[in-house]
Order: sequence, then structure tokens, then C-alpha cells
Amino acid sequence: MSGTFRQFRYETEESLRIALFQIRANKIRSFLTALGVIIGIVAITMMGTAINGIDLGFEKSLAMLGYDVIYVQKASWSTMGQWWRYRNRPDLKTAYAAQLNRIIADNPDSRLDIAVPQLSTYQASARYRERLLQQTFSLGTTADYLLTASGDLSAGRFFTDAESNSNAMVCVIGDDIAKGLFPNEPATGKSLQLRNNRIRIIGVFRKQGKFLGLFSFDNQVIMPLGAFEKIYGTDNFVTIRVKIRDQKKIQEAKEELTGLMRRLRKLAPDDEDDFSINEQRAFKSQLDPIKNGIAVAGIFITGMSLFVGAIGIMNITFVSVKERTREIGLRKALGAKRRTILLQFLIESVMICLIGGLVGLVTALFITFSIERIVPDFPVRFSPGLVLASLVVSVATGIISGLAPAMTASKLDPADSLRYE
Amino acid sequence: MKPVIINMQSLCRFYVMGDQTVKALDNIDLRFIKNDYAAIMGPSGSGKSTLMNIIGCLDTPTSGIYELNGQSVAEMDDDELALVRNREIGFVFQTFNLLPRMNCLSNVELPLVYAGIDPEERRERAAAALVQVGLGDRIMHRPSELSGGQIQRVAIARALINNPAIILADEPTGNLDTATSHDIMAIFERLSGAGNTIILITHEEDIARYSRRIIRLRDGKIESDGTR
Repeated sequence: MSGTFRQFRYETEESLRIALFQIRANKIRSFLTALGVIIGIVAITMMGTAINGIDLGFEKSLAMLGYDVIYVQKASWSTMGQWWRYRNRPDLKTAYAAQLNRIIADNPDSRLDIAVPQLSTYQASARYRERLLQQTFSLGTTADYLLTASGDLSAGRFFTDAESNSNAMVCVIGDDIAKGLFPNEPATGKSLQLRNNRIRIIGVFRKQGKFLGLFSFDNQVIMPLGAFEKIYGTDNFVTIRVKIRDQKKIQEAKEELTGLMRRLRKLAPDDEDDFSINEQRAFKSQLDPIKNGIAVAGIFITGMSLFVGAIGIMNITFVSVKERTREIGLRKALGAKRRTILLQFLIESVMICLIGGLVGLVTALFITFSIERIVPDFPVRFSPGLVLASLVVSVATGIISGLAPAMTASKLDPADSLRYE
Repeated sequence: MKPVIINMQSLCRFYVMGDQTVKALDNIDLRFIKNDYAAIMGPSGSGKSTLMNIIGCLDTPTSGIYELNGQSVAEMDDDELALVRNREIGFVFQTFNLLPRMNCLSNVELPLVYAGIDPEERRERAAAALVQVGLGDRIMHRPSELSGGQIQRVAIARALINNPAIILADEPTGNLDTATSHDIMAIFERLSGAGNTIILITHEEDIARYSRRIIRLRDGKIESDGTR
């Protein structure tokens, strides 16, 4: 038994040696053959990298929203675009937050931690002397806002309870606004002009980036509710931000909050909810079809290029078998069994594919690296799983495309092959 | 009495070509004993090549008995035949059939690879075989760096490497000039003197004359079989 194994090992070593000889002797041919696999593997890895990157970017964005914050709003995020379903709902009131907080405080078992009111508008622009920033996002809230939001301040401070309660005209601004309006000087201490009101900047947020590449947290002007109402009026979009105690119990927390909101809204038991409770997971359900679409398209493209590559390799291996008919005859005459010949040609095609796969991987790695360098915001991520997957795919391509020619070779008649011209 | 290496009894090999059956070998009875040195002769189409293929276990008979070194070969499958070829037969071809990309040593040790011999032993035995044919100083050369006579000597070393029961040489001098041919035949003579069993296939009378026994074929039958 060990003799058989030893023989098998030596035959395999011999086959590896022959394969290397062959590839080295036919460099251009081997390269052209491997090209199909190279392209296929680049396609696979780039697709995988893109999907990984989308996930990564998404996770980053979700972290910005906070995993432990849910949002009471008039409309639902997961059915965005169906505005007619929500149009007739009564508006939310910022006062709900205080009412909720009272109920939460009375219930020690509550899954909810704190509710924070938020008024917001996109119809804002910020001016400082001759500089004007359009399309900023103005937001009115309380001093508790920071408990429900991510982000640190790079300068100054957030407004206090006292400032919040006294409706002081102070604000904290995002990094883009600070850079845009005050390119060469500190923003804190200066006064912004919002509509016809002047408001003093007391703090600046550190840069956070965009949420899903759409909405920027660096474009915000955050101020006390009273200040917001004074500038923009009371008729604006209301959100109640609710922080929950345990993000694993988000479902129970949502149910509790629904009950509380129904109470505040005085809904009868058979009335439908006239508000929506949103969480960041709603985005995930919107993103998944996109991700799957990319994956399906990617698999199709990759599959096509690998298929074409495999046909190329099969073709070349058939040519190689034909060219080396005498060699096959000789090896058989000297004692090579069928499986020896089969193995020899299989190893050769697998080796070409594996080399192609490695070249493809390096190319993809290089492309990924370049993208990261040139467009740092573009989400790409390479993973060890991808490396493994592409190597497995390369080997599989090699076996599939080499099998038919290798079988042909192994079944050649030694006497005829030896005489083949 | 010397042991019988090859025993053929009423051996036939027919080829079917369309609706016609070609009797390449028709009822052959032949025996070779140990240390035989025989030449098989005959015009083309006489069945020489078919007989060589059968003796060399590259082909199996349509009917009849073929025993090689005591084993009945007629019913063996491809892989069993490969094993017999590896152990019992040393081939020398008219066209040399060395692998051009490999050096002499690697070419000579090839049968040992298929026999599952350790690399060190392989190299030792291959080097020894090359020394035996007078190429001890050329073991790392490639076939392209050698003359025709030298290449055929490498091929003979390869045929000897596994101590086969027979050395089967198919027109071994067919591609060589007269002087080199005689050099090669001198090696066969020496091998025969050392106790090897040698079967030559040739159509050249002066090459056949080196052997001690000449078998003439015609139309798939043995025309004459004489010891000189």
C-alpha cells in the first residue's frame, strides 16, 4: 500500500515538473491561455470587493445613526416613496418627547432610555458675511441630543440644558459648514446668519462623512428647539429620537414605544397606527436587493469570462495532447498508467489556471489598492475569503477544462501514439 | 536448459478494416529463451511491427497464447500491461524517443519514476546505466547537445535501467550512419554477452547478422526461423 502511495507521489512530482517545463517552454501560449482565468478572477474578486465594500460602508453609516436609537416619524422608511399613505396622518409634536420621558421615568422596567425631540428642515442656508452655504440641514433639539447621536466635537461645546430651556440663540455646526464659512479662522464665537436671525456658534462637530453617500452629517446646524422655531417656525418636520436600553431588545422596545405613542395619540384599540417607528434596519432591507443585484450580475459576468477561459484552456490542452502524442506513447511504453497520464495533463491545466488565478488576485489587489488611494470614500474591501474562493474557483476551472483532454490522452493507444508523426 | 522468456502459441492478431479482416499475424508459434539474441526480419506489411507491439505488450493478440516471463499477457488490461512493460521490457526505438526538455539522467530514470523508486536510488541507477553505455561524462546534457549515436546510447541506458526480461529494439540503427550503427550494435553484443535477452526488429541484413537467430516473417506467418 505504501509502495502504491510512493509511486503515486513520484508520479505527481514528475507531473508537476513536466507541467512547469511545459509552461516555461510555451510562455506566450500559457499566458494567453491563462488570460481567461485572470480576467475571470479579477471579475470575481472585484465583485466580492465591491459587495464587501458596500457592506462596510453601510455598517459605517449605520454606526452613525446609532444602533440603539429608534425614530418616531410620520412616515416609514421602509416604504419610502409612498407618501400618500402618510399624508393624512396628524403631525407629530415635539412635546411628545417630554411626555414619553415622564412615562419612561415612572416605569423602571422600561426598555426605553430617553426620548429627544427634533425639528428639522432642508430648506436652510447659512450665511457668514459674504459667504453663503445653500442646502444645509437645520435641526432643533434639546441638550439631550448627544445621547442619541454619534460624533464628537472638534471645537467648543454642545449647548446646555439651561441654553436649551431658555431658547438661547446658539448652535453647533458640522465640519463642512465650519470649513465652508470659516476656511481660515476658528468658527466658534462667530455668528451665523440663518434667514434673518443671527445665531452664535458655540461648537463644531468632527467630520463624520456621508450616510450611505446621500445625507451628510457634516452639513448640519443644530440649535435649541426654541431657536429653531424662532427662525423656521413651528411647522416643520418632527422626529422623536428614542434611545433604547439594550439594542438586542430592539423589537420589544419598538412594541413598548408603539404602545406609548398610541396612548399619547389617544388611538382606539382598532385604530391603525398614525405614526411610524423607524430604525436603521429599514435601510438594510432596501439595500439587500441592490446588493443581490450586483452579486447576480457579477456572478453572470464572472461565470461568462471563466467559461470562455475554460474553453480556451480545454482547447489548448487538446492541442497539447495532440502535439505530445508520441511523448504520451513513450511514457506509456515505459510504464505510465492511464491515471499517470490523466494526472499529468490535469496538473498542467490546473497549474495554468492556478497561475492565472494568482495573477488575477494580484491584479485585483492592485486595483483595490489603487481605488483606495485615489478615491478613499469609495467603499472597497478585500477579504481572505475572497482569496480562498478565487483559488478554489481557479483549481475547479483547471479540473473542469482539463478533464476531457486528459481523458483523451490517458486512453490513447500506446502503439499508435509511438508511431504518430 | 535455459528458462523460457517468451512463449507464443497459435497467436493471431487481426485488424478489421471496414468489411475486410487483415491478418497481421496468423497462427504464430514462437519461443524465446533467456539470453536469446534474435532478429525479426521481413518486408513492410509482413507483420513485423505488429509482432513487436505484441511482444512489447503495447498490443494484445486477437487469439492465442502469449506468456511473458511466465505471465499470461493476452487478457491483461491497460494498466496491468503498463506494469508489465515497466518491469519486463526495455524499449529501444528507431526515433530514439527521448524527451527533449529533460537531461540524460532524467530521461534514463523515467521508468524508475513509474516503478515508484526513491529519487536517490533513481539517480544512482540512472548514472550507473549511463556509465555502462559509455556516457558517464554526459549525464547532465540534454538530447539536443548530443549526437545521434549518443542519443541512442541514452535510450539503451533507459531500456536497461529496470533490468528487464527482454530488450526490444525496433530498428535501433535506422536513423544512424553505418559507423555509428556498428557502435550501437557493439553495445548490444556486449549486453548479450552479459546475459541479456535481446530482440531486434530490422530490415537490414548486416544488422541482423549481429544476432544469433534470425526470424523471417512474410504475410503474417513465420517464413523461417534459424539459429546461425
